[in-house]
Amino acid sequence: MMTSLYEHGPMNATLAEGNALRDFIFGTGGSGHHAAMVEETFAWIFWIATFFFVVLMGLTALWSFQYKRRSTPVALVSSSHNTVLETMWTVIPLGILAVIFFKGFQGYLDQAVSPAGAIEMDVRAAKWDWRIIYPNGAESTERVKLGSGKESPIFYMPAETPVKLKMISSDVIHSFYVPDFRSKFDVMPNRYTYYGFNSSAIKGSGTLTEGPFAGTPYEDHWLFCAEYCGDSHSEMAAVIRLVPRDAWNKIVDGFNGAGLTPAEKGKRLYTIQCASCHSVDGSKNTGPSWKDVFGKTETFTDGTSATVDEQYVRESIYEPAKKLVAGYGPQMASFKGILSEDDVAAIIEYMKTLSANVKPGEGEKK
Amino acid sequence: MSEHAAKADGNEDMSTIDHHGSHALGGHHDEGSYLSLKGGIVSTMWAWATTIDHKKLGVMYLAAVLTLFFLGGVAALAVRVELFQPTTMVNGKITGQVFQDAGGAVAAGHAIYNRIFTLHGAIMVFMVIVPGIPSALGNFLLPIMLGAKDVAFPRLNLLSWWVYVVGSVLGVVSIIMGGVDTGWTFYTPYSTSTDWDVYMRVVLMIGAAFVLGFSSILTGLNFVVTVHKLRAPGMGWFDMPLFVWAIYSTAIIQVLATPVIGITLLLLIFERLFHVGIFDPAIGGDPVLFQHFFWFYSHPVVYVMILPAFGVISELITVHSHKKIFGYRAMAFASLGVAFVSFLVWGHHMFASMGEMASAVFSALTFLVAIPTAVKVFNWVATLYKGSIQFTAPMVYALFFLFLFTIGGLTGLPLGTLSTDLHLHDSYFVVAHFHYVMMGGTIISFVAGIHHWWPKMFGKMYNERWAIIGACLVFVGFNLTFFTQFILGTRGMPRRYATYIPEFTNLHQLSTYGSFILLLGFLVHLFVFIHSLVAGRPAPKNPWGGLSLEWETDSPPIEHNFHHEPLVKHGPYDFETTVPPHWDPKDYPIPASNFTAAKH
Repeated sequence: MMTSLYEHGPMNATLAEGNALRDFIFGTGGSGHHAAMVEETFAWIFWIATFFFVVLMGLTALWSFQYKRRSTPVALVSSSHNTVLETMWTVIPLGILAVIFFKGFQGYLDQAVSPAGAIEMDVRAAKWDWRIIYPNGAESTERVKLGSGKESPIFYMPAETPVKLKMISSDVIHSFYVPDFRSKFDVMPNRYTYYGFNSSAIKGSGTLTEGPFAGTPYEDHWLFCAEYCGDSHSEMAAVIRLVPRDAWNKIVDGFNGAGLTPAEKGKRLYTIQCASCHSVDGSKNTGPSWKDVFGKTETFTDGTSATVDEQYVRESIYEPAKKLVAGYGPQMASFKGILSEDDVAAIIEYMKTLSANVKPGEGEKK
Repeated sequence: MSEHAAKADGNEDMSTIDHHGSHALGGHHDEGSYLSLKGGIVSTMWAWATTIDHKKLGVMYLAAVLTLFFLGGVAALAVRVELFQPTTMVNGKITGQVFQDAGGAVAAGHAIYNRIFTLHGAIMVFMVIVPGIPSALGNFLLPIMLGAKDVAFPRLNLLSWWVYVVGSVLGVVSIIMGGVDTGWTFYTPYSTSTDWDVYMRVVLMIGAAFVLGFSSILTGLNFVVTVHKLRAPGMGWFDMPLFVWAIYSTAIIQVLATPVIGITLLLLIFERLFHVGIFDPAIGGDPVLFQHFFWFYSHPVVYVMILPAFGVISELITVHSHKKIFGYRAMAFASLGVAFVSFLVWGHHMFASMGEMASAVFSALTFLVAIPTAVKVFNWVATLYKGSIQFTAPMVYALFFLFLFTIGGLTGLPLGTLSTDLHLHDSYFVVAHFHYVMMGGTIISFVAGIHHWWPKMFGKMYNERWAIIGACLVFVGFNLTFFTQFILGTRGMPRRYATYIPEFTNLHQLSTYGSFILLLGFLVHLFVFIHSLVAGRPAPKNPWGGLSLEWETDSPPIEHNFHHEPLVKHGPYDFETTVPPHWDPKDYPIPASNFTAAKH
């Protein structure tokens, strides 16, 4: 669909009761009581600031024209100092600022203190992909395509449930930012940080249209990376999809991947770990596409060439900088410690299914 | 001090004799304009390159800063052009991406964008806004406003200039080699891990910022000593123009804060070159440590950027309305207060990465900075009351400054507030906020100040009407470019994005249109300046009727600034009771009632 540049339009949820100014400033996607708190504090500051702005600019405009130089260049005499006035305009703003500070501090504590009885999940950030590991150890295998063709995961989250995310990065600093939740927190490479929220009830009437959970009501929110992290920083996105709690339990169980063939397991691993940089349809991304790559002869940046075989794939997963395909930068980090030998073998089986260079049945040969 | 006091008591003849005496000791006696040529082109260029005249150094800084402003501005336009549309893939073809990589990968195109916005930020911050007003206008004006022949250490001043040139050249070389994609903030571990195959570029750019820091320190030191030791006879601390107070406060911050960034950038270079683990956790460092170090310098430096602007605006509003500044002492102390508090608020850049206690403390301290800043705005507006306001280009700009800076200041409130900041941090709201402060504040007042002192610097008037047209174009273009970005930010658009979700397209396009109006406005100014240099009518000594000492001397000033050492007999803002120097009392008829009224 060309009206939305995304295959799935995640901005389907709207707040029913609107306030024109609020909607203009923030848009209509706000979700959860913390978002409401931020919007309220912002509104306070907005009206205070507007008051001061109008008074100051009103006086500036009034006096600029009232005292425009006409006949004589000499100004009228007026006092250039007034202790009472100057004290007042120092003390009164100080009082107002104190109030704003406390309102902001309250809202901040609401965000910083993790909700009681929260479901805990792990967030892993790496250039340029998010992963969320569900309590059962499973990971989402569903993806949306961004406008530029990059794939981003869909993370299912239970509605009306407190959630606590324990976050860590495996390379540089990232920032977990859900604009509709009106909050973000940095994801560090050297220590855990946390992001908690009380998810709201599902608003709007959107329901899933395909798959085993068709008909389930849902609501989508963008997840962005807000700390600059390099080439694809602007596409380090994901969709946070709220679904009812019972549906969420079943969906997450479906992600655990038990009883899959090696190639199916490889496909699952690809979706979680590899899809943000490698396509399977031949289109160029941060890394080479996997379509027809197995069995193909690639030229490397050092001028040598070799056939992409099982050895090469394994080496490229564990030591990606060793042989770079010409035309690509050294962007991939080693997956040692992340993908096991079983995982790598499964990925190789999946790559074979994508390649016309592998005749059916030939892939099984050792 | 006793020598000064003695001179202050003596009559003008005494100081004249002293003036000539010093020349007898110093050798030649030149009463010509500082701009007059000496011999051929080569010897003139050599004379400028080795000059210790603060005015020539000021003019060279001005030329360099404006050139780099142009370069940074081109990068800004490139950013706006790239963001006119999000990058999309339609039938295997990339559309909406202006800067594409030859290899055809979307991400590689984004990498070009990342270099362009880094280029824009690094040039504008380190080479334009930080040195702009202090080095160009400050160098030219500070000694003259104090009634001195030069800064305290003229040779050191020449060294500062060449250090600035070396730093800028390092930066430009890094850009020519392909540029860096670290952002001007060089956050670790990104900055220590990116571009490892071409790491020299990053080292060069960091080195450029390091070297430029030394220029900043030396200039600051020079100015502090100049203000302490070279005030004209009769000029007490509270007789100094507020521009001098502002430059003085700025210089203190430069001297105290810049060494910290010097050390930090050096550590960064060590980490990159020798893999000493300081900031990169992969080799045992702590990335947040870098942020603390960086902002311990870079937040005070925000005030290095804005305090001189405050000084310029104080001069402009008073001179062009012939009105004494309201609350002079409050203005002077507000400058010092801002300088002091600015050292205590660096943590507000890290609300999204710090602990709760630290965040709360830094948020509270941050609000304290708002007070002296607000006091300054109140005082400027109050100064207009009962003034004699003339809408010259500098004054029109000063009024635009009040409008833009007030927005910039007030939008700082939701960023200092913890809960709202966690939404707005690193979003376009921040981008809009600091452009309103840094560009709407500093650059606007810089341009305003150039207009105000242009007749003094070059001895030529400019076309007032076209300058005002340029100012209006800049004002409209600026607001269209950056006000839209506030809304992008509140709606959740993160900064440093090469592409975005389609919902943001309309606002981005408005912003891009605005940036071209802004370009048009600056081009008008460029032509006004060139026209003035080529065909402007000669400037009188005191075109606006100012009272500070720069208006006593010739336009342009002679090499030694004053024919006689000036004696300070009135305050810089006593417009109600003083006929401006070189003005005919008939044209400035002070009613007798002013003298009695002004006593109170």
